[in-house]
Amino acid sequence: LNIYFFFFPSQTVTGNFANVIHGLNANHLTDQVIQRSKRMILDTLGVGLLGTSTEVCHKVTRYSKIYSSDISSTIWGHLDFRLPPLYAAFVNGVAVHSMDFDDTWHPATHPSGAVLPAVIALSEAFPQKKKISGLDLLLAFNVGIEVQGRLLRFSSEARNIPKRFHPPTVVGTMGSAAACAKLLALDRLKCKNTLAIAASYAGAPLANAATQTKPLHVGNAAKHGLEAACLASQGLQGNKQILDMESGIGAFYTDYNPQTLPTLQSYPWLLDQQDVAIKCFPAHLGTHWVADAASSVRKKLVESSDNLLPLDKIEKIILKVPEVKYVNRPRPISEHEARHSFQFVACSALLNGSMSVQSFTSENVHQPALQELLCKTQLEHPPDNTPSFDSLYCEVSVTLRDGNTISDRCDTFYGHWRKPLKKEDLEKKFQSNASSVLPAEATEGIIETVYNLENVKDCSVLSTFLSGRSARALSEKRHAQSNIVGFG
Amino acid sequence: LWETVTSSFASFIHGVQPEHLSKIVRHRSKRMILDSIGVGLVGSTTHVFDIALQYSSAISTRTPSSLPQLPALHTSMSLSPFLWQTHSMDFDDTWHPATHPSGAILPALLAASQMLPPSTKPNGMDFLLAFNVGLEVQGRLMHFSTEAHNIPKRFHPPSVVGTMGSAAATAKLLSLSTAQCTHALGIAASLAGAPMANAATQAKPLHIGNATRLGFEAALLAARGMEANPLILDDIPGCSGFSVFYSVYQPKPLSTPSDHHEFLLEKQDIAFKRFPAHLGMHWVVDAALSVRNLFIHYAGSFSPSLIRTIVLKIPVSKYINRPFPSSEHEARHSFQFNACTALLDGEVGLSSFTESSIHRQELRELLDKVVVEHPEDNVANFDKMYGEVELLLHSGDVLTGKCDTFYGHWRKPLSKESLLKKFRSNASHVLSEEKIETIITMVDNLENLSDSSQLACSL
Repeated sequence: LNIYFFFFPSQTVTGNFANVIHGLNANHLTDQVIQRSKRMILDTLGVGLLGTSTEVCHKVTRYSKIYSSDISSTIWGHLDFRLPPLYAAFVNGVAVHSMDFDDTWHPATHPSGAVLPAVIALSEAFPQKKKISGLDLLLAFNVGIEVQGRLLRFSSEARNIPKRFHPPTVVGTMGSAAACAKLLALDRLKCKNTLAIAASYAGAPLANAATQTKPLHVGNAAKHGLEAACLASQGLQGNKQILDMESGIGAFYTDYNPQTLPTLQSYPWLLDQQDVAIKCFPAHLGTHWVADAASSVRKKLVESSDNLLPLDKIEKIILKVPEVKYVNRPRPISEHEARHSFQFVACSALLNGSMSVQSFTSENVHQPALQELLCKTQLEHPPDNTPSFDSLYCEVSVTLRDGNTISDRCDTFYGHWRKPLKKEDLEKKFQSNASSVLPAEATEGIIETVYNLENVKDCSVLSTFLSGRSARALSEKRHAQSNIVGFG
Repeated sequence: LWETVTSSFASFIHGVQPEHLSKIVRHRSKRMILDSIGVGLVGSTTHVFDIALQYSSAISTRTPSSLPQLPALHTSMSLSPFLWQTHSMDFDDTWHPATHPSGAILPALLAASQMLPPSTKPNGMDFLLAFNVGLEVQGRLMHFSTEAHNIPKRFHPPSVVGTMGSAAATAKLLSLSTAQCTHALGIAASLAGAPMANAATQAKPLHIGNATRLGFEAALLAARGMEANPLILDDIPGCSGFSVFYSVYQPKPLSTPSDHHEFLLEKQDIAFKRFPAHLGMHWVVDAALSVRNLFIHYAGSFSPSLIRTIVLKIPVSKYINRPFPSSEHEARHSFQFNACTALLDGEVGLSSFTESSIHRQELRELLDKVVVEHPEDNVANFDKMYGEVELLLHSGDVLTGKCDTFYGHWRKPLSKESLLKKFRSNASHVLSEEKIETIITMVDNLENLSDSSQLACSL
């Protein structure tokens, strides 16, 4: 009798997503997916720990403390207080994106920051007797990543660097929701409703990139995805065709073509086919090509003049980059703007040889020598330089007063998916980040736990390390656990 | 000094004073406050409220003492605005251009009024002013796009402008500086925007709950120094700000409030609903009631068997065109359902949307006879649309009822008696008669209230 059955196929895309989220299990994870996602988890934790020291994180922490709760989750890097899972996800998510130091995928988004804080916070919210294993966490994490990747493929708009909505706020919210639904082991119907509810939280405009609010995009994605899963778990319902309709997730795109996911039989994860890029310094991904090219040009320049950059001999600097308006900033003032400036990174790399966390301090941003170089810098946008993280390049040309031009080009920077960071360098980045906030035992503990994640019986050890609890307290806990759980 | 659109909004929010509120604006906004409270109170009896409450309780320390009284719950502060389910039954006010303005701002203000320490409690006039700031900002933003004039298709307007209005209203009540007001708007933009597809589902009420709560949070974050893009309302080529929610966007600065700032509410009143369903339903119901009277006159009583076809002449709008709604949420968004209920029962009220009412056999039989037409002159616009119901009888006779302006629309506003009747009926589901009368008196005298948190406490 219901006319609607004629208009919708028996398998909606939304229903299909719910089936897959519900049906994926640990056996589906391939070795490569496990390996790659653990690298992502480690990097994200390090970046987040470092991020807890930022001003933006301090602000959201102070703000979040006005809420209190009996159920609480760890705030990374903090032993002194905890927050309700929702706000733990928020604060830790903000920390992860606070310096634009977190991973980037193709099509473009920052996948891990939206998912990891939510699943870790949620894992701590279960009643004592219910243990979440490392494998549960790893699976939920990957469900969250996979859903994001699949959604990004529904629109050709998503292939290029964004202009309208900031992708983590669209697909990140959905990914967090899916991951939390998985961890909560929601049934298919509730998985569908999770997606529907999450859609109503998705979407923030790009204009807040390069401001202090940008990190909140990832924090909110994590928090709202978690909230959507919790509401669905309580029975709240939304539109069961949320992924199918133009007035659903389609509202965020100008062209939208949703497709069903592959069958669960030997499920082909996107992370298997497409790795992430891991950053070496905290700035927009586009600037990493610029830094590489600028560093090479600097090497050539100093060779011929005693290892010092001949500042007064530089006439002009030309950067050939894709057209990306929100990273085109000739004179950045704040740290957030500096992280989104081709010009700033080029000049900083030319001056100092390499980029690091310290490159974005106020002193460095306002250095007179840097300001001088910025005045001489121009951008050019060759038509073949497409604004896509898979195909863009950067060419840096420095023209000297004597007419000579030194230039170099970077097609693939170290850390890009085509040239992934080696294990030692990934660990080095993590240690450098995490040790600013945690004692050595905790940082070692995290590395060990993440590398062995699929065998960890109770992933709460990870949270314990993240809070910086002492080694003694930890071994006591482990001892207690081994008595209860039993190894076998 | 050249001012950006964003900074003009911040200056307005910061600079506007109670003296700028005209009599009409004060009068109209108090009606809206009263109606919204009533609708929120009856909304606390809904299933969606139960879910929101269970969820919020799970993440707060204080547990509720008695369910119905909302702010008395004292749950986690950010969540109390969320719990106000003014939109749970689609019973709240509607404006032109289309949005539900009050539900997005009132709960945030009630929470904010309770948050401030006793020494700085805003008075009733401050409260009324903040409320109107929230309305004005919403109205002005909607005038930035011609898209906003018609019934929406992509983003649900309360989730877009409502969030911004809530941020503005809260910023005003908390007396934030101009810079902080700017950032409140910027942070709020990153929390705005929910797709239309969740309308007519249980998740739609969340759009307003979240608009008010997230706008409130944006203001709190701005108060603590969070910064966003100071050009968020302006046109930023190549990198969308608030414009992201529209395909055509022409922002205009707000003039600084001089002696004669004209609030939009002065020129454009609100519509109040008489029954809990989408605004569009109100036209067809009034048309159905009128043709029902003709029919009874014609046949002596309402005899469905005499009817061959029921023709509804309505504007094109997919999300309110539902021939056989199966849930209460769908029923509130169905021209067909509302017309037939009006024909069958002679009225549409709260009880029309219960499970048993929705699935009545007699109603299904009537729904079977419905045919829908979309005359070209019937535009999907709350200022211009009409509803027409034609009964084509087996005898060959045709009876017609048409409604251009339903009772409750801004062109035919509810009388004071009707508004109070609605409020009393709603509030009585949950509050004693004494409390009800106290609230009525308090809102009526809002300008003279010395401590506006008393309003929240009285609920």
